[in-house]
Formats: sequence, structure tokens, C-alpha cells
Amino acid sequence: MRAAVKDKLKNAAPSPKVRKSKFQADLAPSEDSIVRTLKAELEMTSNTDFLSDALALFRWAVSERKRGHIIVSESSTGERKILVLPRLERVAPEVALPHVDIHWNERELESLAALASGQPAQPTKALIRAMRH
Amino acid sequence: MAVTIRRLEEFDDVGSFDCGDQPLNNYLKQHAWTNQQKSSIGVTYVAIEESAPRAVLGYFTLATSSVPRDSLPKKYVRGLPPYDLPLILLARLAVDTRFAGKGLGDALIMEAFKITLRVAGEVGCRCMITDAYRDRVAWYARYGFIPIEGAQKVSPQKMFLDVRTIRAALKSGSAQE
Repeated sequence: MRAAVKDKLKNAAPSPKVRKSKFQADLAPSEDSIVRTLKAELEMTSNTDFLSDALALFRWAVSERKRGHIIVSESSTGERKILVLPRLERVAPEVALPHVDIHWNERELESLAALASGQPAQPTKALIRAMRH
Repeated sequence: MAVTIRRLEEFDDVGSFDCGDQPLNNYLKQHAWTNQQKSSIGVTYVAIEESAPRAVLGYFTLATSSVPRDSLPKKYVRGLPPYDLPLILLARLAVDTRFAGKGLGDALIMEAFKITLRVAGEVGCRCMITDAYRDRVAWYARYGFIPIEGAQKVSPQKMFLDVRTIRAALKSGSAQE
């Protein structure tokens, strides 16, 4: 009986294990001190949790810059500081334009919708000339 | 005249700019830099001459916007993607009177079209919208901007240009070279 169980276990498909990557970093003493301070402030005990949260934050920052958004901190008095990190700028779109609201009345919206949903107009000669330069 | 068009910079000389229109002069002198750097309301591009690289000869301002899909009349939304309608606003375009008639306005709007195509390629946009002064409607129409109906007669005229039309012009222009 015991041998049968052993065989069954031997023949059973191995349970899928999530492979965890190890992450090792050589930190300068000052950086190590920063990590320890941050862990204490955030009441974290494990390096894994620390890395996981740092990763989530970095991932968010990258996705925001990819969309052309800037990352800003604003004080209670309205003073704003923009985060500029050279590595983050690598993922920022070449051209980023701010978003504004435009006031539309009902007739304008109808006209806009008709134009946008229809076939595009043929380019004019002036537009073709402009795009040739 | 070797002209370069680039983003407005903090120490550009905007004080002597005069396009003959006070609101457009004031915008450049008082608001353009703040709106670009602090308020994130619009990005201003300026034309400068290489011999005087701080003196602004002309400018335009761009921003993105969108129209919520549920605000559009139902009979048209079927022809549109199931998202809000993204667009680029050409908010202002002006040329200093000393350089009027030298093709600077054409150079500025060309750059605006190219930026629009880059933005459309990177984050998506369906059309370009401008608020044209009534006496400038014909100038924008030369480039294919179509008046949007419904504006009051005293207000600037909203005009529409499909990004697909600009793309077609680029393709057509390249084919002719």
C-alpha cells in the first residue's frame, strides 16, 4: 500500500512552481543607509516587500511618463515641483502636449461629430506643399 | 532668412514682439511661458532667426483636448471609435508685423502639422481644431481647415482638419518628390 502511494506520487505531474528571481545589489554605504531608513519609516521588515513597493512606484512613474504626463508634487501652499529623472525621460514621448478643455455648444458638437465620423477631406494643394517641406 | 522653430524658452526675447493684435501679443509676453512650464496649459513654439536666436518672430501654441463620446449626437457616434474623441488644439498662431508676408505663418503652421502627426503617432489624435479670427478663416481654409458650424458670429470660428487628411498630404507630398 505504501509502495503504491509512493508510485502514484512519483508518476504524478509535478506541481507548477512559480519561479522566483533573486535580486542582489551592491549598495554603497550611503545607499544602504537610505534603504534602512526608508524601511524603518515605512515599517517594512523585508527587503522583498521593499523592492516590491519600489517596483510598483517605479512602474507607475514609467507608465505616466510614457503617456507624456509629468510627475508633480504640490505643497499645501501650491508650490509645485516637477520630478525630472534622466532615465524616466527616455520613455517620455518626443512631443508631449498638455490637455485642456474646450467649450462646445450643441450645434458645434453636431458639426464636429459629422466631420469626424465622415470620410476625410482630400488634402488641399497648400497642405500638400506644406508637408513636402 | 534662416528660421528655426523650437519650443519657447525662459529667456527668449518676447518683449518686442508685435503682431498687431493685443490679445495675441499679451499671451506671448505674459502667459505663454507660465502656461508651458507651470500650468501645463499649452506648449508654445517660436520662430527665431539664427542671427538673433532669442528674438521671437512668430509663434503658435498647441494643446491636446478631447470630446467625451457621450456628448456627441448618437446618429454620428457609430462612425467613430468607441472612445472619447482626441484632438489637438492649435490655440494661437501669430507673426510679428515686421516679418509679415515672408511666409513665416506658412512655416509655423507646417511645423504645427508635423507635430500633430508625431503626437497622433505617439498618443493618438483624430483631428486638429483651431479657433480662427473671422478675417483669417480663408487663410486656414487654404490648408483644408473646415469651419465647424454653430459658433456665434462674434466669436472666433472653430475649424476642423482631419489628421487623416494631413497624413494623406504627407504621403502625396512624398510621392511627388
